[in-house]
Amino acid sequence: MNKNFLIGTALVLGLFFSSCSAQAEMPAETGTPAETEVEAMPTPSVESGECLACHTDKQRLIDTAKPEEADHEAESKGVG
Amino acid sequence: MAPLEPWEKVLVNSEAFLATDHGELTCIECHSGTNVADKDSAHAGMVASPSEQPDVYCAECHEEISAAYPSALHSTQAGYWTTLNARNGNVPEDHPALDTMFNNHCATCHTSCGECHVSQPKNVGGGLFTGHVFEKTPPMTRSCTACHGSRVGNEFLGKNEGFPGDVHFREARMNCVKCHEGAELHGMTDATAGAEHRLNGEESPKCTDCHPDVADGSDGIEMHAQHGGGTTLSCQVCHSVTYTSCDGCHVAVSEKSGNPFFETQATYMTFLIGRNPIQTEERPYKFVPVRHVPVAPTSYQFYGENLLTNFDSLPTWVYTTPHNIQRNTPQNASCEACHTNPEIFLTADKVQAFELNANRKVIVGSAPGPVEMFLAAIPQPAGHADLASDACTACHAEGIRNAPIFPESHIGFTSDGCIGCHKLP
Repeated sequence: MNKNFLIGTALVLGLFFSSCSAQAEMPAETGTPAETEVEAMPTPSVESGECLACHTDKQRLIDTAKPEEADHEAESKGVG
Repeated sequence: MAPLEPWEKVLVNSEAFLATDHGELTCIECHSGTNVADKDSAHAGMVASPSEQPDVYCAECHEEISAAYPSALHSTQAGYWTTLNARNGNVPEDHPALDTMFNNHCATCHTSCGECHVSQPKNVGGGLFTGHVFEKTPPMTRSCTACHGSRVGNEFLGKNEGFPGDVHFREARMNCVKCHEGAELHGMTDATAGAEHRLNGEESPKCTDCHPDVADGSDGIEMHAQHGGGTTLSCQVCHSVTYTSCDGCHVAVSEKSGNPFFETQATYMTFLIGRNPIQTEERPYKFVPVRHVPVAPTSYQFYGENLLTNFDSLPTWVYTTPHNIQRNTPQNASCEACHTNPEIFLTADKVQAFELNANRKVIVGSAPGPVEMFLAAIPQPAGHADLASDACTACHAEGIRNAPIFPESHIGFTSDGCIGCHKLP
């Protein structure tokens, strides 16, 4: 029984350490693609609180609006 | 349509927008700029229309559409150049002048993703639809008919006084994309990917996609059965009503403001049937409604003399598909309403003298004769089924090989019309 227990424990430990060593080797094998992936990630979100604060405030948009350029086709006549 | 107020064009509905997928992105991720309170500093380097670069801003989520759309007609405007080049004769020396003209007057119709899905098109002043919420289906009157308004929009919505709107709109409240599906508009179908003109290639959408038993007359309607199995007449010949035509559009740049402008000499209502100027396997119809487009030999003379030297290469009365379909129309009320009714045919007397040559392929000799004449016409003999040529007049004008000479009433008829009365065995 003890002998069987020892053999079983040794097998489990063997598997455990071999899997640990495999995991430890993985970054080295796939190092380059992993780095590329990190580089390809979108730029971290930039807060846009000020943008929304203005663009949700009707009065502020009215106050800060530049005079509109004349309609480009205002001088047109007839059906376009 | 009335332009939006400046503030209204850029007012964001944060509650609605932030609840959408696009709301998960920050403003700066798409529009660049800086997150500061001062307007000028915030807008420095801003990208107002990110979807002008769909490969950069849209493709990550909308890969297929972003790849296809740059070759779609709404993006390329290739149809403009197809007709411009034809009427110009493709003279290389004229291209700088035509490029300038195009950029001043035509390029505003180029459409980005955002101009259908989040804001009104720029040529009607732009402005967000609904607080920056993206619309999968563009709102018809603020998007589609905002550009396609003076002809298609007015016809479809019934805005031409005295003429009803299209039955598909009046009865079924169908909008544009019910027929013109996303794949077509995004250039993702065989006919639309890289198309050079909207009337090139497969006819799509096609009435018979939804009404398949009409073309061969198996729907039990005698008029459908009598008119050539869907190949003699386009559906609109019998089912559209009066629509808009225009004359003499000229473009220039204002001396006063420096802005480009146009002037159209005349706009009027017509319903005229002509010969099909673009008869192909996909559009085999012999007769179609024709609409006058406002081109004139001097339309672009502000930009240079003789820019349309090949003016006669294309008709000015063009193949059209009026968007005001009705089940019952004046011309399908009875046989005689069309047969023997010259009022509804584009005969030479209705074409201006300087346009006669351009429209020679479209002009109809005369209205079709009385129905009795068609019904009494002798069918072609069995041997004619194997004739390689359909040039009937080759034998029947002079009685070659004892062929019966056609009667005086047939003078002016052309060979391609014979089969309309003298059916093949």
